[in-house]
Amino acid sequence: MTKRGKTALTVCSTAFVTLGRAQARALGDTNLPIAVIPHPFGLRTRQEVREIASTCVDQVVQLVTGGTR
Amino acid sequence: MALENKDRAATLECVDDFDEINRLYRERRWSDGLPIVPPTVERVGRMLRQTRRAPDELVTRVAPVYGAATIERIAINGVMAGCDPASLPVLIAATEAVSDPAFNLQGIQATTNPVAVWLIVNGPLAMTLNINATFNCIGQGRWSNATLGRAMRLILQNIGGALPGEMDRATQGQPGKYTFCCAENEEASPWEPLHVERGYGRERSTVTVVGAEGTLNMNTHSKDAAELVRVIAETLVHPPSNEYVHGGEPWLILGPEHAEILKRGGLSKADVKQRLWEESRMPVSRLAAKEIERARASRSDELGELSPDVLLPISPTPENIMLIVAGGPGTHSVYVPCFGNSRAVTRVIDT
Repeated sequence: MTKRGKTALTVCSTAFVTLGRAQARALGDTNLPIAVIPHPFGLRTRQEVREIASTCVDQVVQLVTGGTR
Repeated sequence: MALENKDRAATLECVDDFDEINRLYRERRWSDGLPIVPPTVERVGRMLRQTRRAPDELVTRVAPVYGAATIERIAINGVMAGCDPASLPVLIAATEAVSDPAFNLQGIQATTNPVAVWLIVNGPLAMTLNINATFNCIGQGRWSNATLGRAMRLILQNIGGALPGEMDRATQGQPGKYTFCCAENEEASPWEPLHVERGYGRERSTVTVVGAEGTLNMNTHSKDAAELVRVIAETLVHPPSNEYVHGGEPWLILGPEHAEILKRGGLSKADVKQRLWEESRMPVSRLAAKEIERARASRSDELGELSPDVLLPISPTPENIMLIVAGGPGTHSVYVPCFGNSRAVTRVIDT
């Protein structure tokens, strides 16, 4: 997506950040923004997931509008 | 797909000392945890003489880092694993095979699942290379089986970049990730061998790559074909299964004695697959609620609404159930549960 000139971003849980960064580097986009959410995800209640999503939205906005990566 | 400098193998100057070289490989995480055979220029050169292809020819790129699998880099990993030089064509074909999109190497390399890459060699080359298809064929003891499977793992790790705990996210992994390779016992099979079933001439040699979660032995003294099918089918059924969730491709290694019982019972290979597919269907209600959600996400297009009383087949079609005949005498067969989101790929070995 980035190579096509689109704004792109990945959301990873903490356990997969290393993989996400390495994968982005391998595919030639070392600066790919990655929003990070806590791991694991499966045991969260719906309310907890909503709260994580809400926090994540702030991260996403910050990342795609040129905030810290 | 052009080759860049970083894609070429580097030459390191080291003290000519086995321990020192292994210390270096251990520090750089270029091994699987076992000592390696130092891939000297001479050893790699001997292996490269087994192919007409140029050392810097790019065979494919290997996920997840999409590292360049050149002929030379494949040979280097083959030497490190202890392979005989004549093994190189198998490794080239296997590397091509794992990179086929149908195999889903990206998923296999980076998943939390324990999936290993199992190599099955068919055709005359299996005998030439002395690849074990009989007693203990997926166990220890035969040089080709041990080193070919190990070389595949080193290629996946060193060229594909899937280091445990980094890009290889396996929760536990499995012993088959060190090595997993055998040949089919074609002489003892009452049916056509795997490569013929997949459209190749019997005289061709092939390697098939399978995304295998592990092995589960099935010891039954049954001499009745229908009963044998039933107990094998019941072994396939287990609720926390990627295959039922995604519609997979389960594999079986039938011992020659079990295969013979099925054949005498009047069953062709296709009949066995059909019967196993029908008898291994599992009520959706046996799955955990989360797996039902996953199965709905994965298989609704194929199966429609997955209500609790629906019988879930292990694979989309009976043809997706794969089997080879291998092993020596005995009342054992093996269920090889698979990754689910992957299909085995076969390539001709170009010698």
